Amino acid sequence: MAYRLFALVLLLLLSIPALAHHGSNISYQTDKTINLEGVVTEWDYRNPHPQIYFDVKDKDGSVAHWATELLPTPLMLKNMNVGWSRTTIKFGDRIELECNPSRTAGAKACLAKGLKVNGKSWPVGALPPAPGARGAGQ
Amino acid sequence: MLILILAALLAAQAPQQKFDPHDLSGHWNRTSRFQTFSNVFSGQGNAQGTEEAPFTAAGKAKFDTNKPGYGPRAVPPAIGNDPMGTCDPLGIPRLLNTEVITPHQTMEIVQIPGRMLQFFEWHHEWREVFIDRKLPAADTVDPTWNGTSVGKWEGDVFVVDSIGFDDRTWLDKFGYPHSEDMKLQERYRRIDADTLELTMTITDPEMYTRPWVSDTKLFRLDRAKSSRWDEQIYCVPTEEYKFNQRVRDEAGGRGNAK
Repeated sequence: MAYRLFALVLLLLLSIPALAHHGSNISYQTDKTINLEGVVTEWDYRNPHPQIYFDVKDKDGSVAHWATELLPTPLMLKNMNVGWSRTTIKFGDRIELECNPSRTAGAKACLAKGLKVNGKSWPVGALPPAPGARGAGQ
Repeated sequence: MLILILAALLAAQAPQQKFDPHDLSGHWNRTSRFQTFSNVFSGQGNAQGTEEAPFTAAGKAKFDTNKPGYGPRAVPPAIGNDPMGTCDPLGIPRLLNTEVITPHQTMEIVQIPGRMLQFFEWHHEWREVFIDRKLPAADTVDPTWNGTSVGKWEGDVFVVDSIGFDDRTWLDKFGYPHSEDMKLQERYRRIDADTLELTMTITDPEMYTRPWVSDTKLFRLDRAKSSRWDEQIYCVPTEEYKFNQRVRDEAGGRGNAK
C-alpha cells in the first residue's frame, strides 16, 4: 500500500507542469523576484488565471497601478482546500506580494509567487517551469 | 525508469477487472507524456520527443507563422497567436492530445445509438462521430472546427475517419499546422478496464510530406469523475479579453491599461 501511495504522489507531482493553460510563464523573469506592498482595487477570481489589481504607493506619494496573475485556475486554487474563494480578497485589503517581474522593462504586471493578505499567507500555487524549456510550464 | 517500475508494481497488484472492449464510455484522463501531436521535441516536462515533423515547404512556412506560448518556440502570449488566447475553438485533434489533462480537463465518451459523443471538459467542447453512415464526399463538406467524422469497429479497434477541418486550428499547443484538406484517422482501443489507447494519423500532403502518425496516447479511466458536478470550464471571451488587456499584454509589453 505504501509504495502505491508513493507512486500516486510521484505521478501527481510529475503531472504538475502539465497543468498548463496560457503560456504565461514566458512573459516573466521566473529566475527573479520582486516584493511589492499595496492596496487591492480588484480581485478577479476567474479564468484564465485569477488576477489581483492593486495600488502601490511610492515614498513620494505617487500611486502605481499594478496587476498580478496567479498561475492556477480558480478551480485549482479551490482544490488546494485552503479556503480560496471569490471572497478571499476584498477591495481595500493590504497585500504583500512576492512575484516574478515581467520581461518587459517598466511593465506593472507580475507573476505571483508568494502572497499575504492582511498579514495572512495564502499559497498561490505557482508552479516551477519545466526543466530545460523556455516558456514551458504554464 | 522509477516510474516504469512503480507502474509495473501497481499493475501487478491491481486485480484484473472484466471489461467490454467495445465499451469506451466514461471519463478519461490522458496519462501519456507527450502534449505534442507526435513525439517531436516540446521541452515540456520530462517528455522530450526526438521526431522531426515531415513538413513540406508550405507546412514549415505555416508553422513559422504560428506563435505558441509553449515549447522551444515560445513567445509571450501578448505577441503570440495561439487560438486559445482568444477563446477560439481548439478543434480536433488538439482537444485529444494537449488539453485532456487531469484533474479537470478530462474527456468523456458517451456511446448512443448511431453516434459516439466526446465531451472535452477544457473549454466545454464536444464532438460527434456518426457510426451509422459513411463520410460524405470531401467537396460537399465545409470546413468545421472538429471536422466531419464517422466511426466503425475493426475488431476491438474503434476507427474514426474525419475530413473537413478549419485550418485556423493547430494540431497541438505548439503550433503544428494543418490544411483544410487534412484527413485524420483516430484508432481507439480499450486495452484493459482502466486504459484506453489512441493512435492518430494525419494525411495532409499540403503540410506534410507523408502521413504523420502520433505517439500512442494513453488515457486512464476516472470513475470518480462521473459522480462529480460538471465544473463548466468554458473559455469566456469577456474574461479572456479583460485578462489579455490588463495582465497579459502589460506583462508582454503591449499595453499599459489597468
